[in-house]
Amino acid sequence: MIVPLSHVLVVSAGLFALGLFGALTRRNAIGILMSIELILNSANLNLVAFSRAWGAPDGSPQVMVLLVIGIAASGAVAGLALILAIFRHRKTIAVDEINLLKG
Amino acid sequence: MDVLDSPLMPNTVGPLEFAAKAAFYAVSAMTLAGAWITVSAKNLFRAALGLAMALFGVAVLYLFLEAEFLAVTQLLVYVGAILTLIVFGVMLTARIADPNVPRWNQQAGAAWALTAALGIGLARILFTAPWDMPGLSTTPAKLSALGHTILTSYLLPFELLSLLLLGALVGALFIARRDPR
Repeated sequence: MIVPLSHVLVVSAGLFALGLFGALTRRNAIGILMSIELILNSANLNLVAFSRAWGAPDGSPQVMVLLVIGIAASGAVAGLALILAIFRHRKTIAVDEINLLKG
Repeated sequence: MDVLDSPLMPNTVGPLEFAAKAAFYAVSAMTLAGAWITVSAKNLFRAALGLAMALFGVAVLYLFLEAEFLAVTQLLVYVGAILTLIVFGVMLTARIADPNVPRWNQQAGAAWALTAALGIGLARILFTAPWDMPGLSTTPAKLSALGHTILTSYLLPFELLSLLLLGALVGALFIARRDPR
């Protein structure tokens, strides 16, 4: 590796922290979805960095990353379909205005 | 000592290697800047473009980590498919560019505190723990080995993933279709 492992981990931790901040604070549901994609990417980056630094000749961490990418894709598809359905009913996708179940 | 013998801490720094390191840090900064645009942009379309920047940066970081197949997959699936979906979703919903709509909710202060605490804690761990493990094989996985692993040890998760994608496809069509009534 051309840089120490901890530097890659710092990038990944930064991605995770920013994604967590966005998921907690964004009002727009699509913004939350995008922040969750950032969190998934930080986990993937960690997997790849550790597999490169500590060795995985069969590439199984990379297979896990591929599975995570596929699951993230299906999650994004289902989430966007839900968001479109909610927008059609409520004319808003701000998550703090969607409080139908709050009583 | 050969550079290949100690990939984590090469003891010779040539100009090419310096350029590679500088490129790595530049791409890392671009990735984090894109992530910051994603969570902070007022216009949601700009946030989607920031997400594109961050995902592209992660793909280039995969190239630096010698995972070429993953880099191509990241470009195809994330930048190609998921981002297109998100941009469509952004444009199909209203009020994305209205500057009067607040971008963050009232929890922003608490979330700042939480993420700052998380970042400081992670940084302490990252800079104090001994990450370098000498004696392990650090050759990058070959593409042929990767394909072999997918279709032998990981065959069941791989097939389940295709089932999940099919379910997501049908489910998304069912949820998002117009109500016939």
